[in-house]
Order: sequence, then structure tokens, then C-alpha cells
Amino acid sequence: MKTTRSLILALLPIALAACGPKSTSTTANSPSPASTEEKKLNLYCWSEYIPQSVIDDFTKETGIKVSVENYSSNEEMVTKLLAGGGKYDLIQPSEYTIEALIRENQLLALNPASLSNLANISSEFRNMPYDAGNKFSVPYMAGFVGICVNTDKVKTPIKGFADVFTPAHKGRIVVLDDAREITSWAFAADKLDINDVTPENLEKVKPMLKKWLPLVKVYDSDSPKTSLKNGDVDLGVVWSGEAALLYKDDKKFAFVLPSEGSHLFVDSLAIPKLAAHPQNAHLFINYILRPEVSRKISEAFPYYNPNSAARALLSAEEISNPASYPPAQDITRMQTFRDLGKQAASIDELITQIKAGGK
Amino acid sequence: MLWLGLFVLLPTLLLIVTSFSRRDEMGRVVYSFTSENYIRCFDPTWLTIFGWSVLYALLATLICVLVGYPAAYTIGRANPKNRRLLLTLVMIPFWTSFLIRTYAWISILSQEGLANSLLLSAHIVPTPIGMMYTPFAIVLGLVYNYLPFMILPIYTSVEKLDNSLIEAAYDLGAGPLRAFSSVIIPLTRPGIAAGALLVFVPAIAMYAITTLMGGGSNPTIGEVIQNQFTRARNQPFGAALGVLLMLLFLVSFLLLGRKKSTAHVA
Repeated sequence: MKTTRSLILALLPIALAACGPKSTSTTANSPSPASTEEKKLNLYCWSEYIPQSVIDDFTKETGIKVSVENYSSNEEMVTKLLAGGGKYDLIQPSEYTIEALIRENQLLALNPASLSNLANISSEFRNMPYDAGNKFSVPYMAGFVGICVNTDKVKTPIKGFADVFTPAHKGRIVVLDDAREITSWAFAADKLDINDVTPENLEKVKPMLKKWLPLVKVYDSDSPKTSLKNGDVDLGVVWSGEAALLYKDDKKFAFVLPSEGSHLFVDSLAIPKLAAHPQNAHLFINYILRPEVSRKISEAFPYYNPNSAARALLSAEEISNPASYPPAQDITRMQTFRDLGKQAASIDELITQIKAGGK
Repeated sequence: MLWLGLFVLLPTLLLIVTSFSRRDEMGRVVYSFTSENYIRCFDPTWLTIFGWSVLYALLATLICVLVGYPAAYTIGRANPKNRRLLLTLVMIPFWTSFLIRTYAWISILSQEGLANSLLLSAHIVPTPIGMMYTPFAIVLGLVYNYLPFMILPIYTSVEKLDNSLIEAAYDLGAGPLRAFSSVIIPLTRPGIAAGALLVFVPAIAMYAITTLMGGGSNPTIGEVIQNQFTRARNQPFGAALGVLLMLLFLVSFLLLGRKKSTAHVA
């Protein structure tokens, strides 16, 4: 009996550790004086977004060791940032989250003198409404959320959300695991402004969401392409870059901008107010802005590159990928997400409840 | 004592305090008292999910016993030279991260994966079977990852089995079945109980395997709680669910402990 018990005691920590695998936090030592920062950078970025080779090259060139931690939704990132769990030097928020973080005074004002390559960003991305004049953020990649269809399996024409979420596709759909995104699709389908999130409008789209979500088989923001590629689902609403990767490998994966309307997202690099290594973070941003580096990122993750100097280096095939670079007139019609303030909580709750199959 | 206070009492206290707090729109915890998180816990939505999680965990535990017992028995009765090798074989999967092992299952079970191509080429099935992102995949993932936690405690019980007792059973006219059910099983019961606990408790709250294998459309209570702390930005609600889950474990531990001590007396 005694040996059984001691064995259990010995195994218990393993069992407990197995329950919480994703918390890979890094701790920063106390920073040295501002001018001579220690050679460290704690990067908190989206999963499947910054190629490891780019990070390695940066380390090789500067000697700055980069610790990377990933998230798969803006909300997740904000939660951890504000909880102060990790000391992050560089984060990668999307437009509406930048707006919220600026409002909450959580971002460090960028030093333009350290960002000589900023001019590579095309002008329409240098004056976005959420951060006019790029005082706090520098666009990393932009993109869209659209429909990816395996045309071998789905023979009916798919034009918009209404065609995706039909009973015929039950158990064949993957969607992003993102409350704000999912809600905005229902808003678009109901012809509501995606930023006009009020309790009344949420109530209005609720019946539609309750019809849609039970049809979904997989929720995945990290890598929605996986289930499509493996054939476990036949269509989905995914990040454009993921659809572009699928199309690059196999032309059977068509990308469709939903007829009800889509939105443009701009994921940017920004430095948290409490960053321990802000200078290193500036160095990294400026490095990413180099055309040849940004071009490498586009190659690995073919989103819509806001870096016009890098875009000039892309191959004709890359530029003609319909998921990466849809027609310009479609893009100009798109809105971006704005910060919702208090209503953000209602969205979180609404989607949690409906996803769980509740009323 | 300090260790216990630092790593058990303090986090638990923090969890309890958080569970009675509110959140602001950025997901920060606001420390003003409310009991609404607990009231929300008893919404049928969460109770249903909890029921499913218990079912998955029970099923996984049962399968682990059925598969793990013969394995543990064979290892425990093997000659001592082979025993260490067999035990090492049980432990080898632990040398890799369980996430990687779970991803391996994804490539085995997916529509265009290994299992389906084998079944198709052997003409056992006409079209691929959807195995990924189903309750089947969830239970499989749990069984696969927790099986060693069942095998090892049973093994220690089997190893200590007194051969003379089994021989006595045979001498007194018991067949193999009778000897197994009346002598071997009762003697190895502590191992089975320990294994069941080690599998069942973490299996209920597991979220990583169930998210990967279940796709998030059949969420477990562990996934719901994890979500509250990340993308749903509702730490107080997640904390309330966590506290209730902890209470439940505490109660079942106490009940199990009581049963054990009465069994001893008998």
C-alpha cells in the first residue's frame, strides 16, 4: 500500500502538469539601464504568423535573443497582458484592440527616429482611423476573413455566409474561434453595421447565430487550414492567409469574399507600456519593415502585405493568389473593426453561451 | 508547510476571491462582491456540458481499467528481468510532449489520415469515416494519454501479490476465474482505485486534448473554464466554475476515503 501511495505522489505532479500545457511563460530579468538593454526580447504574437527563420535571422544579426509566446485571439492576448502574467516587449494586436489599448493607456508611444523603414508601409495603412499617424503601432500584415471552399466536395455555388451555414453543411464547417469575428458575420448577414454593436442588435442576430453555430464542426483560430486540408471539413470561414496557403498547395480550395460583406483586419506591432526592452522592440519592428524581410514573411504566411516595398518583390504567382490579394475595389469597400468598449463583454458572453449550446 | 501555503492555499484563496468578483470590459478583475458568477454556473447549459465531461471521463476510466489491468498484470507477473523493460515501454510515450502525441493522433484519425487510408485500401469501408472531432476522438485521446496512470498503480499492487494466496485458492478448489475474481481482484483493488482516481480526476478537467480532438464543438467543462480565462475574458466566471469543480473533487475524495476505511474494518 505504501508503495502505491508514494507512486501516486510521485505521479501527481505529472498529472497536474498535463492539465495545463499551454502556459509557457517566460520571465524577464530586471532590465539594465535604458541605453544598454540586455540582449533580450519577449515577443507575444499570433500563432502561425511570424516565421521562425525571420526571428533566427534577427537574432543572428543583432545578438538579441527572442522568446516567443503565441496567442490565438486578441482577447486572450489582452487578458494576459493586463493580468501582468508575462513581461512582454512586443505584441501584435489587431486594429480594434489597438484602439482599446490606446484608450486604456497601455501602449508606449513609438519613437519615429528608430523606425527609419516605416516609409515602406503603403500610405493607406499609415493613417488608419484607430491609430492615425502610427503613433503607437506599425502594420505587420493585413487580411480579410472569408470563405474557403473545397470545390471537390462542395458543388453548390457558395457566395456568402448564408450559403455556408445551411443544414446541408452540418458537421462540415470550420470557423474561427473568435467571438467578435463570428458575431460580425451575423451582423453582415443581417445587413447591420459590424461596428454598431448594441444590446438590441445583438438580440436581433441571436436567432441566426443559434441556427449557425450548431452546424459547425471545428472551432480553430490557430490553424483552421488543418481540418480543411485533412478533409475533416469541406468549407469554412477562415483567415485569408490560411486560405491562400491552401490555394497555393491545391487549387481546389477556392476563396470567396462573402457577398454580405467582409472586413479588413490590420495586425500591427506595438510595444506595451511596461515593456522591459523597448529599444530592442523598436529594432525588431524596424527589422520586420525591411522589404526583403517582409517579403519572407509573405512567402510563409501569404496575407495582404501592407509593406509596398515588399510587395514589389513578390512573384506574379503570389500576387495573383486570390486569397492574398483580392480585387482592389472589394478592399476599398471594406470596413475595419472599431473598439466596442463595454459591448465587448456582451459579445464574449453571447458567443460562449451559444457555442455551448445554451439559450 | 510553507510549500503547501504557497502552492495550494494561496492560489485557492485567489481563485475563491476572484470567483466573487466582477470583470470590466477589458476583462480585468474588479474586486467588488457579487454572487452572480455562481448563479450563472447552474444554468442548464453548463450543467449539460459538465454531465458530458463526467461521461467522457468515466468512459475513459473504464476503458483504461479494461485495457490497463491485463497489461499491468502481465508486467507484474513477468519475470523480473523483463519487468523493467516492459515498464520502460509503458513510460516511453511520456518522453514526448503529450501535445505532440495528440497531434500524431490527428494525422492518424483524419479523413485523409492513416487509419482511413488503411481501411479504404483494405476495402473494409467504402468511404472514409469521420473519426476526428467526435466524442469518440475525445475519449480515445483521454484513454491514450492517461493509460499509464492506470497501469502503474495496478502494477505495484500486482507485483506485491502473494503467490501462496493464489495457490491456496487453487488448492481449495477454485478455478482460474474464481481465483481471479475472489482473490486477485480484491488484493489489487487499492491499485485499481488509485488508478481510477488518477485517470478520472484529471480527465474531467482536461482541456487541451479535448479541444484538439473534439474541435471545440463538443466542449468539455475544462474547455469552458479555460476559455473564460482567455478569449471569453471572464475570469470571475471561470473561477466560480473552477471552485465548484474543486469542491466536487473534495467531496468525492472524502466519500471515497470513508468507503475505503469502512472496507478496512470489514
